[in-house]
Amino acid sequence: MLNRIVIYLLGAAALAALTFFVTRSFIVQQAPIKVMSTIEARIAAGAGGWNACFHNQVYGPRANAARRANPDSIISSMAYDLSDGPVRISGETWPRYWSLSVYQQNSDNFFVVNDQALADQSFDFVLALAEQSTEDLDGTPIVSPTAKGILLIRRFAADASDMPGIIANQEALFCGPA
Amino acid sequence: MKYLILIIGAALVIAASAFVTRALTLSSLTNQASIFDSFERIKGPWLYSDKIGAAAASDVERARVAIGGPLGLSAKEAVYFAATEDNAGTPLRSQCTYRVTGQPMDTRWWSLTLYDSMTQHYVPNTENRSSWNSVSVPRDDNGDWKILVGPTPLDGAWLPSQDAPDQAFELMLRVYNPSDAMRAILPNIELPDVERVSC
Repeated sequence: MLNRIVIYLLGAAALAALTFFVTRSFIVQQAPIKVMSTIEARIAAGAGGWNACFHNQVYGPRANAARRANPDSIISSMAYDLSDGPVRISGETWPRYWSLSVYQQNSDNFFVVNDQALADQSFDFVLALAEQSTEDLDGTPIVSPTAKGILLIRRFAADASDMPGIIANQEALFCGPA
Repeated sequence: MKYLILIIGAALVIAASAFVTRALTLSSLTNQASIFDSFERIKGPWLYSDKIGAAAASDVERARVAIGGPLGLSAKEAVYFAATEDNAGTPLRSQCTYRVTGQPMDTRWWSLTLYDSMTQHYVPNTENRSSWNSVSVPRDDNGDWKILVGPTPLDGAWLPSQDAPDQAFELMLRVYNPSDAMRAILPNIELPDVERVSC
């Protein structure tokens, strides 16, 4: 009888341990995807939909910013979904600092380029999945590993006096289906 | 009947274990300082990570960063340093005044931002200021700079901490486009001193 109880207890402990590792692994892997989905929904709500840009036009700290956001960085953001085809983003860079970064659905920053790495002050990119053809499209292709993700454009403001120029830069930006 | 009891028992064990694991895992990932568990301690009060946004990050590192500071740039573009303590190793607290001093950095742009460690957000303040950057910070003839951190206005480059006493805060130093020379010695670059002036 005692042997049988010990066997049951060991079995229960093994089952609990297995459940622990499987559950923890699942939560840890899903957490970034959940965070990305939440941010994408916020961006899409602000931009009026997916594959459109939302512009922060306020200098300094903002109550609704992401955790540990950089207040010097004036951001345009796009939640993209390439299910229906590639997405194009084009416009002008910003001289203090400008970068375009793209995040796949697990939150990895798989692509980044800054203004100093570009040939001139304008840019034209097409975001697409590997299996989507971009040959007939204008713009430099960026291959996204996942259909959904987030694209950010950062422009640095030294102080509030930079904002009129940044807002004009934002308004000249095109984000949308290619 | 015996097998039914065994199956019910196993289901209860799985359910209880999954429930407890979920609670423990979420608690550890969302803890206010969780993001810094993935940072390595370097000299002085500074912590460093080159795993922000990186494909090379482990699942746990990726989850911590996604929750505590999402959408950071990869080390190709920017590197991140954080301080939760002063030079003496004492945790940064809102009621104290600190002097943060630094020299010119061989980088295109840097910024120093203060966050409430509990909320992981900016500290509301009358100046609407939570950072200084390499362009806005006042400098002396050598390019050296000084930022004063405290709860009430201070002469010079004031970075406000929380009004309420005994609140934890952290300083985040972002370094964008460091020079090749600086990259070659990362993370052992010359970093700002964080000295407690009064408390």
